[in-house]
Amino acid sequence: MINYHPTDKQLQQFAEGNISPALALVVSAHCDVCSQCQEKVDDINIELSSVIENVRAHDFKDPAFEKMLASIMHLPVIDTKPVVAPRIELDGRFFDVPRPLQRFVKNTGNWSHLLGKVWQAPVDLGDAGEANFIYMEKGGRVPEHTHKGTELTLVVDGEFSDGLADYDSGDFIIMDNEHIHSPHSNAVEGCLVFSIVDKPLHFTSGIARLLNPFSHLFFK
Amino acid sequence: MLVGISLENKLQNTGKPKDCADEMSQALLEVASQRCKRSYAKIFGYFAPRLRSYALKQMGNEALAMEMVQDTMANVWQKAHLFNAEKGSPSTWIFTIARNIRFDMLRKLKNRKEDICSDDLWPVLCEQTPDQNEVSLEEQVTLEQVGLLFNSLPDKQRAVIEAIYIDGKSQQEVADELAIPLGTVKSRTRLALQRLKDMLEDHD
Ligand SMILES: [Zn+2]
Repeated sequence: MINYHPTDKQLQQFAEGNISPALALVVSAHCDVCSQCQEKVDDINIELSSVIENVRAHDFKDPAFEKMLASIMHLPVIDTKPVVAPRIELDGRFFDVPRPLQRFVKNTGNWSHLLGKVWQAPVDLGDAGEANFIYMEKGGRVPEHTHKGTELTLVVDGEFSDGLADYDSGDFIIMDNEHIHSPHSNAVEGCLVFSIVDKPLHFTSGIARLLNPFSHLFFK
Repeated sequence: MLVGISLENKLQNTGKPKDCADEMSQALLEVASQRCKRSYAKIFGYFAPRLRSYALKQMGNEALAMEMVQDTMANVWQKAHLFNAEKGSPSTWIFTIARNIRFDMLRKLKNRKEDICSDDLWPVLCEQTPDQNEVSLEEQVTLEQVGLLFNSLPDKQRAVIEAIYIDGKSQQEVADELAIPLGTVKSRTRLALQRLKDMLEDHD
């Protein structure tokens, strides 16, 4: 059951398109599995689109329009075919991922064993942030850390806890330097999440502090 | 004048929004089914001037505004078949296309080399059927054949498949009815279809 959703403001910014690509991606992935938020976005879209109805139309006698119309009608139809939804494979298990993340699945051939029972597959988002699919086996734990920037997480499949709350498939989580947490999964099936950070993590406790100098190498 | 089609822009002064939406929906259908140029000209005459005013406010630049109008209206022509009147009005559909075009244009202007584009973020111009299994299954087998294998499905999957493929309900309706998340309906559908497909292949 999904308990953690984007704020109404984030959904509004998402519908407007006035949003960072990283946040848009995680909000979009959430809406793909959360009908409640999708309906909110649909409503906002209707509201926003009334702008088009109410705006004072530009003079359409402009010859540029006629030229544009003619050139458009020379264009061929674009026949879009539904594509096979790719799934993530890890150790013989397959995971369905929300549609907006599917394009990144092909980049996840390189799962690496990170710490204990935690696995990571990096995803290249260019300048948008450092993204990873992270899989916690049952009993897997990411050491306690805080964030120098923002950490966006979508629970793709499974359940985990982080000392602050318990999360389930579809939950949308946003963490910053005000949050210290230690994600771990006790679910039999473990937990697969998608996560984007814009700055390295900062490990806060015990021996994990030794990881800080290297934190840019993983969990970036 | 263009191949005997004149631009029509009268609609903006006539009728209620609902009538206009119906008329535009009908026109989109005709573009989708018959490539009707007259219908497209009607849609263009109504939306292009409005989009231009809107785009100018958004982009603050006449050339960029016209590029935004051109790309948006080209999508309307080329992908009219993706418009679904049940999911919303033509103006909402066209607005969301324009929003996507603008998002990509602004990223390009900033020269961002990001592997993220609007098609991933907002599924405005995607096929309604996200799963290949659903399509190919429908093409390959009849419901009757599937029905024979039906009983071996787990109860929960069978309930969902029954509602969608026999009662003809939408996934959302099934979700509401069973009080389960849409994502669960989708995954049950997918699992069930995969299972049926596997069984059908075994039968061959
Ligand atoms: Zn939600």
